Amino acid sequence: MAARLGIFFLALACAAPAADRASLTAAQRQSNLDSFDWVWTTVRDKYWDPQLGGLDWQAARRELRPRVEAATSMEEARAALSALLARLRQSHFAILPAQSYAELEGSRDPGQGSPGIDVRMVEGRATVFAVEPGSSAAARGVKPGWEIAGVGGKEIAPALAAIRESLAGSTTVELLQARSVMARLSGRIGDPVRVAFRDGAERSVAVELERSRPRGTPAKLGYLPAMYFWVESRRVRPEIGYIRFNLFFEPETLVRAFREMVAGCGDCRGLVIDLRGNPGGIGGLATGVAGWFIGQAGRQLGAMQTRDTRVIFAVFPRPEPFRGPLAILVDACSASTSEIFAEGMKDLGRARVFGARTAGAALPSVFEKLPNGDGFQYAIASYVSFGGKSLEGSGVIPDEEIGIERRDLLEGRDAALEAAVSWIERQRN
Amino acid sequence: MPSRSIATRIALAAALVAAAGARLNAADDLPKAETILDRFVEVTGGRGAYEKTHSEIATGSMEIVGMGIQGKVSLYSAEPNQSLTEIEITGIGKILEGTDGKVAWSLSAMQGPRLKEGEEKSMTLREARFNGHVHWRDLYKQAETAALESVDGQECYKVVLTPAEGNPVTRYFDKQSGLLVKSVMTVKSPMGDIAVESAESDYRKEGGLLMAHKILQKAASQQIAFTVESVKFNAEIPKEKFEAPDEVKALMRK
Repeated sequence: MAARLGIFFLALACAAPAADRASLTAAQRQSNLDSFDWVWTTVRDKYWDPQLGGLDWQAARRELRPRVEAATSMEEARAALSALLARLRQSHFAILPAQSYAELEGSRDPGQGSPGIDVRMVEGRATVFAVEPGSSAAARGVKPGWEIAGVGGKEIAPALAAIRESLAGSTTVELLQARSVMARLSGRIGDPVRVAFRDGAERSVAVELERSRPRGTPAKLGYLPAMYFWVESRRVRPEIGYIRFNLFFEPETLVRAFREMVAGCGDCRGLVIDLRGNPGGIGGLATGVAGWFIGQAGRQLGAMQTRDTRVIFAVFPRPEPFRGPLAILVDACSASTSEIFAEGMKDLGRARVFGARTAGAALPSVFEKLPNGDGFQYAIASYVSFGGKSLEGSGVIPDEEIGIERRDLLEGRDAALEAAVSWIERQRN
Repeated sequence: MPSRSIATRIALAAALVAAAGARLNAADDLPKAETILDRFVEVTGGRGAYEKTHSEIATGSMEIVGMGIQGKVSLYSAEPNQSLTEIEITGIGKILEGTDGKVAWSLSAMQGPRLKEGEEKSMTLREARFNGHVHWRDLYKQAETAALESVDGQECYKVVLTPAEGNPVTRYFDKQSGLLVKSVMTVKSPMGDIAVESAESDYRKEGGLLMAHKILQKAASQQIAFTVESVKFNAEIPKEKFEAPDEVKALMRK
C-alpha cells in the first residue's frame, strides 16, 4: 500500500499572501532554521537524482541558511527557503505559508472566497475565461472575454510581466500568471474586491465584487490545504456525454460520477472529459479514471521513478468500461495528474486530446508540515509517460491544438469543445 | 498470518513478493533458521497458544509519516487461509484486500476492483495462512540463517525464507529476545516490484500471544506507521466477510 500511495499534488503556488511582518522571537528564528535544515536534508536524501542534476547543494546551504538566520520576518525566512527550492528549477517544490493551514485546522472551510471568475491568459492578457453562475461577478454582469486590467487598485500587467521574464521559456508561464491573478482576486469570504476590466468594446469597467464561498465542497487530504471540489456531467449533444471536475480529488465522489456517467451513457457515441483548468490532485486517480475507458488488462499510463523504486501507473479495467470515442480537453492551466492522465490516454491511443499545450508541471509530490508551521511540498519522483515522454517542462501537446481566442469567449463559443464534438460525430461513420 | 504479521499483510495491499536476490550461506556458528523461527513461536506464546486461536479481528490506525494522512485499519483472519484487510483513509476512501483461500482480490474507489494473479496471488494466499508463523515449514521450501546483523543497535539473526513460488523474504530476529524486529521483501504487483521494509516493535500480550503493536513500513520514499489498538481471537466472523465484493465478482464473470 505504501507504494500505491504515491500521492501527487499540484503546488498552491499562489496561496494567499502572508501578512506576518512582525519581528521574530528567538524560538521562531530557531524553528525557521530547523525548517531550513528539514527542507535541505529532505531534498538531499529524497530527490530522485542523487546528484541533484549537478547542483552544488552544500553551496546553496552556505549561502541561504544565513539569510534564514538573519530574517526579521516569516516572509523573509520563507523567501530564503523558496530560493533554496528554486535552485532545483522543477515544479512541485514549494513552501506554503502557515496561514494556509491556520484558518483550516478544526474546520473544513478554507476561509478563502472567490468573486466567481476563472482566469486564463489569452493573447498575453489576463482574461475572464468563465463566470460562475450565481456569483457576484455574474450578478454584476462580468462576461467571459473581458480583460482583467487591475485588482484592488493595482494594475496587474507589471506582475504578469515579471512572471513572464523570470520564467522565460518555461511551459508554466501562463499557469502561474493565471494563478497570480486568481490569487489577487481571492480573499476572505465576504470581503469585497475592486476589479478593473476592459470589456468586449475595450471600454474600462470598474466593478466591486464580493468574494463568496467557492463552488463545491471542501475536501482535505493530509497537510494539503483544504480545497473546494466539484464535478459535473451532462450531455453536450443527445449522444455525447461530457464530464468536468476541478480536481483529481475525493475518489469516492469522483468515481461515483464516472460510474453514473458511463452507466447512463450506454447509448452515447462518445464522451468528452474536460480537464481545462484542472491542476491535478491525487495521482492514483489518473489510473482509476482511466479504468473506466480501457477494457484491456496490462495497460499503463506511465511510471514514476523515486531514488530507489519504479512505480508503474497501471490501469485496472472496470467491469463495464466505456469503449466508444473519448475526447480530452486541456489547456495551459491543466497540470500534474491532468497531464499524467491526458498524455497516458493519448499514448495508449485511447483518447484524442484537444485544446492548448498543458503546463508541463507533472511531478509526483507530497506535502509535509515544517517545524515552523509552514507547509512543504516536494517532488519525490520523476515521471515518464507510457510513450516515454517526460511531461515536466514540456507538457501535453494536444492532437488538435486549439488556442483560446478572446473573440470566441466574447461570443460564447467554445472552440475546443466544438472540435471534440465534431471529431466524435465523425467517428460514427 | 493474522495480525502477528500485519506488516506483510499491509504490504500486500500494494502488491507481491518478488526476488530479494541475495544468496547467502549461513555461517557455521549461527543457529539454524528453524531454531530461530521455532523460538519466535515459543517466545510469543508457544505452539499450544497459537493452536487455540482459529480466527482473529485486529483493528488499529495508520498514518503516512509527516504528511498528516491518517486512516483506520481492520484485519479479519480465519483458518485455514481466509483474510480481509480494510483500510479507510480520510480523503482517499476505503481500500479492501482479501482472499477466501481461492480468489485473491483488491478493491478501492481509486483503482476499482482487481483480481490478483501469479506471484501476487501466491503471496496473498501464503500470507493469509492463519498462524503462518507456526506453519512456516508448509509455506517456505527453504529457510537459512544468513548472518548476525545489527538492527537499530540490536544484534539480530537474519533469516532468509524462500517460498515454493515467488521470491525470498528476509526477517530479522532479535538475538536476545527472539522477537521479529524487521522484515524486508519485494512486493510484486502490476505497479512494479516495490521493496518494502517493515520494523515491528511494541510487543504486547493479546490473549495468550505476544504481538507487535507498532509497525513502521518504508517503501517508495514514504513511511507508513501502523498501530494495533485491539485484537479479538476466536470471534465469529461470518463466512460472507471473506467473499469477494460484487464489483470483484463482476470481474470474475468476465
